Amino acid sequence: MNSNFISEHLRDRLTGLKKEKGNGTRIVGYFPGSYVPEEIIYAAGAIPICLADGGNRNATEVALSLVPRIICPFARGQIGEMLLKTNPYYDNLLDLVVAPIACQHVKKVAEIWEYYRDVEVFKLGVPHQYDGDLELEYYTDRLRVLMNKLASLTGNRITNEKLRDAIRLYNRMRSLLKSISFSRQNPSSPVNATDFIKLNHDSFLADPVFMITALETVNNELNKEKAATYTSGPRILLTGPNLTRGDYRILELTEAAGGRIVIEEFFEGIRYYWHNIEEDGDPLRALAAGYLRDRLPAAFMRSSTAKRFHFLNRLITDFKVAGVIWYELQCCETYDQEAFFLHEKLQEKGIPILTVESTYDTSDAGPLKTRVDAFIELIQGGMDNA
Amino acid sequence: MRDLLAFCGYETSEIESELSRIQKAFTRLSITENDIETGKQRVQTYYDMELKGIRKLLGCYLRECVNIVLAKEEGKKKIVHGCMAPGFDIIGGAINSHFPDAFTMVPNPMFMVVLGCIFGKFVPILEAAERLWLKTGMVAHCAMVKSRLGLLSLGLIPKPDFLVTSGSTCETSPKTNDLLQETEGIRSLCYDSCRDIDPSEYPVQTRAIIFAAESMRRLTRVLEDNMGIKLEGDMLQEMLDAKSAYGKALGRIHKLIHTSDPVPIGSTHGNLLAWLGGAALTIDDTRKATAAFNTLYEELEERVHKGEGVLEKGAPRVLGILPFHHSDPSLECLMNTLGIAQIASDYDFPVPGSTPPDFNADSDPFVAIAQGTHSSPLAFNLSGRIEIIKKACRELNVDGVLNHYHVGCRYVAGDAMSIQRALTKELDIPVLELEWENFDPRVFDHDHFRSQLEMFKTIMKNKQG
Repeated sequence: MNSNFISEHLRDRLTGLKKEKGNGTRIVGYFPGSYVPEEIIYAAGAIPICLADGGNRNATEVALSLVPRIICPFARGQIGEMLLKTNPYYDNLLDLVVAPIACQHVKKVAEIWEYYRDVEVFKLGVPHQYDGDLELEYYTDRLRVLMNKLASLTGNRITNEKLRDAIRLYNRMRSLLKSISFSRQNPSSPVNATDFIKLNHDSFLADPVFMITALETVNNELNKEKAATYTSGPRILLTGPNLTRGDYRILELTEAAGGRIVIEEFFEGIRYYWHNIEEDGDPLRALAAGYLRDRLPAAFMRSSTAKRFHFLNRLITDFKVAGVIWYELQCCETYDQEAFFLHEKLQEKGIPILTVESTYDTSDAGPLKTRVDAFIELIQGGMDNA
Repeated sequence: MRDLLAFCGYETSEIESELSRIQKAFTRLSITENDIETGKQRVQTYYDMELKGIRKLLGCYLRECVNIVLAKEEGKKKIVHGCMAPGFDIIGGAINSHFPDAFTMVPNPMFMVVLGCIFGKFVPILEAAERLWLKTGMVAHCAMVKSRLGLLSLGLIPKPDFLVTSGSTCETSPKTNDLLQETEGIRSLCYDSCRDIDPSEYPVQTRAIIFAAESMRRLTRVLEDNMGIKLEGDMLQEMLDAKSAYGKALGRIHKLIHTSDPVPIGSTHGNLLAWLGGAALTIDDTRKATAAFNTLYEELEERVHKGEGVLEKGAPRVLGILPFHHSDPSLECLMNTLGIAQIASDYDFPVPGSTPPDFNADSDPFVAIAQGTHSSPLAFNLSGRIEIIKKACRELNVDGVLNHYHVGCRYVAGDAMSIQRALTKELDIPVLELEWENFDPRVFDHDHFRSQLEMFKTIMKNKQG
């Protein structure tokens, strides 16, 4: 999968963003988790940038001057980036930050940024009973307030037509990502998980129009290729709360051990592409329904466990998965509970599962490698007595 | 047993009428004769047995604990379990007052006081939960939630038909109920608020209050439909009125403690004063608890008039961030021993303008309940919380702040360092920060805390000059 042209685009992206900012275009950052509709930011004429960097131990350690260790490494990383001021996407570039009131950790990031940083933070209320009418109304209303805030920030009127155009644009991006990802249902697909996830992460920073063209190119090449580059190795589902830009160790270890990650499901860090937004009707309501109700709920949402388990079960079947790696950031309390449930259920079905916890610390590289190697070997039928 | 019940404020006639029930409940809870002896010693160590009001309060906990243990066999047909559900005590109390076949239990406060503070037998409950999905370790699952899972898994409380919680400040609690729903088939219900208030809105929270009220109303309707009951507005109002009187009686005691030097009562009692409010007591039992507060107030007022106190006059006065420990008074006892007076917690200081919640002012009881829950200092965001704590420090003119943040709660623990920074920088008040577990007795480390508190006291004394 050749994506060099995307790398080139991203290399020049920062310069381009600064230039656009100099010309008066507003840059709006937002935290991941797929509860902030980029469509609204885009329709306002601003540039959305997802603040989804992770895997940086330095940032997580620096954050300990403001929050204790029980705030998860991803959230601490976002606080650390605020303090370090060395990541150009987090510093001076942003005119507004939209923070979804999602899990406790991201909520705390929002409050810390709000309290300590100069940039304005808009806290987007995300009710946690995702399927209720009351909650849908509340969320729709908060999106309306966000829309007004963005209109005021940019000086642009956000019409329904502009929103619909933005929805169509991002639907196209989601569809292309889904098509590339789903190609892995085919055992001879040349798509490799690390490449796909990096592509997904790139879409958070790249210009969306460019990204769509780029994804179309990648998709077309895949359709032509169909070469069996990766046909061996046990097929793995990688899932958990969070897989961010820069946090690639579990991917590398799994692939180095001979495992083949054929599908991922994460709440944060990866662009959600399973569903598109309705293009007809009231666009704001369509966005609210699409982002809150129609998507797979995160583990911290109320009564989400059964729905999430059924979804993962479907992925296991559809992608012919031989084993599951549950990748969890330390101190993520709701996903940690769910891991127990998933273990029990998958064991009943005879599907092996490995739970890996990360703090972004590399000092556990040796033991972690051993565990992943052993897990892959176990699935391959080795370790007879395991 | 009779001695212990007398320590818990039971009158002789009540001992006679209740003894067999209490014995039956104690058997279920595996409370032995030895435990009863231990309990007698502990209540005399930790609590001021001279105070009739305190004895009566202990009785309120014990009585409700027994009611919970025996609920099913005493004919309760539909049982609702509430936990970490602020405001639900009012709905549950109204259910308990008007529908004899139904029962709402809020077991955690009762069991933490009875099995924890009195008998010192709380840890096995936590260990039971840790053997399931609330494991030990860095993830630091909250022991309040562990208590629920432990009590249910050990069969110490009857299996409920419904689990009720709120996700207003916590996601562990609803997730635990969700897993109980999947593994035990107990229906889980939740009401919520949404913590997206902007600092510029402080202290107004109308949006969050209305949302929470509607969420609570919906939950109540589901309970009504499934339990075959109808909670009329006047039933809720009657409960609200009883709670209002209860709150005012408690508020008088707090005010007396805040303003008296020497302090008339030790901080080990702080938990007894605060924790009962979460229980779904009936209107009658709420009135009994209110009477206990009034008795206690009179006793403490008399001490203040006489200039008597439990610590020497001029002892350093401390505001605690977060309430007193709920299942073990060891830290507060140590503070008393060292001559440090913890006179308040930030929970005594509501969001300005929101309270005391005048429950009678609003014609919609759900809005009134939500107003009450949103008056907690935790209802606001970090900047609002800091404002409330600063105001409390100024009002009380405290010598120091004990910031023992509950590590099991991301919401409060995440604020701890910012609170400390603000207080030391803006008010120049010493802050002792302790990583803490508000519900787990295992957190107490006598030697470690003693040395920290001694140093803290020295710093405060030096600043006093």
